[in-house]
Amino acid sequence: MIDRSEAAAALSDIADIAERVRQSRIYQVASLIMMLWGVLAFCGYLTQYLRPRYADITWVAVDLVGFAGSAAISFIQKARAWRIGAAFIILIAFGLLWTIGIAHFTPRQLSAFWPTYYMTVYAIAGLWLGPAFLVIAGAIMALTLIGYFYSGPWFDLWMAFVNGGGLLLAGAWMRRE
Amino acid sequence: MPQFDEVIHQPLRLRIMSALSTLPDKQGMEFSRLKKLTGATDGNLGAHIETLAKAGYVSVEKAFVAKRPQTTVTVTPAGRTAFGEHVLSLRQIIDSGAQEN
Repeated sequence: MIDRSEAAAALSDIADIAERVRQSRIYQVASLIMMLWGVLAFCGYLTQYLRPRYADITWVAVDLVGFAGSAAISFIQKARAWRIGAAFIILIAFGLLWTIGIAHFTPRQLSAFWPTYYMTVYAIAGLWLGPAFLVIAGAIMALTLIGYFYSGPWFDLWMAFVNGGGLLLAGAWMRRE
Repeated sequence: MPQFDEVIHQPLRLRIMSALSTLPDKQGMEFSRLKKLTGATDGNLGAHIETLAKAGYVSVEKAFVAKRPQTTVTVTPAGRTAFGEHVLSLRQIIDSGAQEN
């Protein structure tokens, strides 16, 4: 029927297709989670801009809804991402330790720290998961830093569109890919 | 001894089975996505899916989503087993250095 080289070619084709399906599934799940966090971040930053005294409780609510929603999406998509969820819990704990426990970041610093922190993780993940993560992470980090240094009193409003809108658009684009 | 499967081994059918077997159990793939992944034409893809369905390796479900027809193809347990066996047989051919016929 077939010889070794044909068998090897067939296995290579199988591996190629399997890898593309795996990447496609990752993008599919990630895109939904990004869009969720985009909407939540937009609401969070907008609330912080309009009603700064409710910022703390708003972000607690955003994080709770965000993590519950991300877990639900992963479950529905059969993504089996418990390790990713656990990794994020560890990262958040580390971030909280330094931003609030040790260094006492200002509200503006916190608004810039968290998205750049998460986007650093996205960028690292992109080295394995695909270039889309790297591009999205780079863009949001750059725009966050531009806003932090140059947007003056409009920073939270800037972040609503950069972080919130950026994640929403990025998720929509990734979904198409 | 793993079974070399002539039905699966056709290049496009091999790609179809590879794509579908990568998904979790009972999760299928839309026809349009399968077409993009395999680079096949509508007619060609449809014909090969029908061959796989007749062999009992895939199931085809047609539905309407937002008034648009949508066809979803899912590997069956028999198809997953047959594909797994076929992959093992390919590896065996490479390992043994055997020439069949």
